[in-house]
Amino acid sequence: MTTTSSMRFGFLILLGLVLGGLPVVAHEGHDHGAPPPPVSITIAPRVDASSADFELVAIARGTKLRIYLDTFRGSEPVHDAEIDVDGPGGTVKAMVTSDGAYLVDAPWLAQPGTHDLAFTIQARGTIDVLTATLTIPDPAPMQAATGGLWHQMVGAALARDIEARLATRDASLWIVGAGSFFAGLLAARLLRRRSSRPAAIAVLAVLAVAGARPLQAASPTVPSSVPTLAERDVAQRFADGAIFVPKTTQRILGIRTLFTEVRTFAGTVELPARVISDPGAAGHVQASVTGRLAPPPGGFPRLGTRVSAGDVLAFVQPAIGAADVTSQQQQSRELDQQIAIVERRLERFRQIQGVIARSQVEDGELELQGLRARRANLERAQREPERLVAPVSGVIAAVQAISGQIAEPNAIIFQIVDPARFWVEAMSFEAHAITGSANGRFGDGRTVPLAYRGSGLADRNQAIPIQFSVEGAARGLRAGQFLTVLASTSDERSGIAVPRTSVLRGSNGQSIVYEHTNAERFVPREVRVAPLDGSQVLIVSGIGASKRIVTQGAELLNQIR
Amino acid sequence: MIRPLLAAALGLALTVPALAHDPRPGPNGGLKVDAGQRHHAELVANGTPQVVVFLYDQNDRPVPAQGYRANAILIVAGATQRFALAPGDGNRLVGSASVPVPAGAKGAVQITGPDGTTAQARF
Repeated sequence: MTTTSSMRFGFLILLGLVLGGLPVVAHEGHDHGAPPPPVSITIAPRVDASSADFELVAIARGTKLRIYLDTFRGSEPVHDAEIDVDGPGGTVKAMVTSDGAYLVDAPWLAQPGTHDLAFTIQARGTIDVLTATLTIPDPAPMQAATGGLWHQMVGAALARDIEARLATRDASLWIVGAGSFFAGLLAARLLRRRSSRPAAIAVLAVLAVAGARPLQAASPTVPSSVPTLAERDVAQRFADGAIFVPKTTQRILGIRTLFTEVRTFAGTVELPARVISDPGAAGHVQASVTGRLAPPPGGFPRLGTRVSAGDVLAFVQPAIGAADVTSQQQQSRELDQQIAIVERRLERFRQIQGVIARSQVEDGELELQGLRARRANLERAQREPERLVAPVSGVIAAVQAISGQIAEPNAIIFQIVDPARFWVEAMSFEAHAITGSANGRFGDGRTVPLAYRGSGLADRNQAIPIQFSVEGAARGLRAGQFLTVLASTSDERSGIAVPRTSVLRGSNGQSIVYEHTNAERFVPREVRVAPLDGSQVLIVSGIGASKRIVTQGAELLNQIR
Repeated sequence: MIRPLLAAALGLALTVPALAHDPRPGPNGGLKVDAGQRHHAELVANGTPQVVVFLYDQNDRPVPAQGYRANAILIVAGATQRFALAPGDGNRLVGSASVPVPAGAKGAVQITGPDGTTAQARF
């Protein structure tokens, strides 16, 4: 390592130290776990504290301390708590406001500095003490600043000065900007050549002097542009993607969270499926003969009519072909002829009853009776229509009946389904070992619980049909609807189950969830998800247990810019 | 290119503060926690109304309690007990609740130093 490179090495370490912040003033170990609340000059001074049960935010506005209390795990607002605040003003009871916050009179808030506060919370059968230290910033920190704080002071002063100059379109800003650019070019050239170290040092020295002068000049102008507090705090996103959302906004967005825990779940497969009617509760009405349809008294049942098994839905007047008519006519003539012959014979027998056997007369009577019955049947068969009756009780789901229409024996004239009983048929391209329960998810997000009924062994379109019955009252379903079945299989996975609404798509296309890290801070976390059931997904990696994940309002959080 | 980056990273790493101290058992049988930036405090209760808070500095060396005042807010049997603590021998701040305080009681102690600075400890 040459002298130059070792010098540069040392310089870079120094640079890193400066960039990383001043050496920590507090002794190590007094970080209270939570990262510091966001620092912004437009946000009212605030402090948050939390325990296993509660999360509290106290905001200083004027001489009032406004307190927002939520449950820690679910982030549900707590409106019915009794809060006592132990602070510089002694013990003060907080008053509940109409918007669900708590208000404390705090005249001591007018004094800048740090104030130690203890909040005694009594709510929902638990009692808890939370502590927090509220820092009220000095309204004129510039005058109070000493040489030790030179770095911070210059940083803030420079920023404010540039802001002010931008606002007034100060020409000096442009001059400084252009000058810096050319100075940078010059320095780059000199350093690149490595011709002489003194030249480079000289350039750096000039830059340092040039940089320091406007800063010192800027300081006296600062008090005129001290920022004032905004009337209300607004949500904002930081450069690292984290979002600051004040409690008031959280209440409006209805933010709720879930405390994560890792559990083991049965494996899940997603299968395309459609709704079919329950084979045990559905019926088709078909004609058995070709014939003309005729309505029953009261007309054909309309769509949606409830029918019970045995109800007559239509009549079919059998249509008889010309050949059939001829043969029937022939048959009836033959029968007429036979009847006439038998009648004659019987008459003759009756006249000579004394000389013939009685059995002969009886035979003749029976024969005549039989012939007449056949003749009557033949006549009736021509006129009597077929009655189409409902095979099952249910609701008419489809009607193909029009008066006078010729019904073919194979055509389905009515479809009857039981609206409370549906099945789902899924197609699986792989052989899955599906166990008992499953869920169906429709395109609009609705879900129905399903129970496994059986799967076919014969392929249909290279897939195996798997049937499920819809459990419970299957409202709003219709046969033929498409849905996705999430069926559990016998393999197991472990992860964190979160509602489907928690997982969002980030701007880069990755799945993200929002973690509630602080009372008013939300951090997007990249996660890998796997299907779980209709309403939940499984986070396989990206976040651990005992974290708070936003379940409600995540979509709204994602829109904060 | 890697060496300068490494150097800058090293510089950054040196400035990262250490993690918080968790509540831990103290030398007098109580629970010792951080109190503000400069103190540690140990709360000792033993089933009697008397409660003792031992004061330490950030390096766990005892701090004489003379000149210190403290207020205790403790949860005992589902109710809040508020009482003052006064300096006792050595690094003790002693106070009495109106009811017996069991060991491991939850709550907070607000400590005011001789110079008026305040610190809080949550147990």
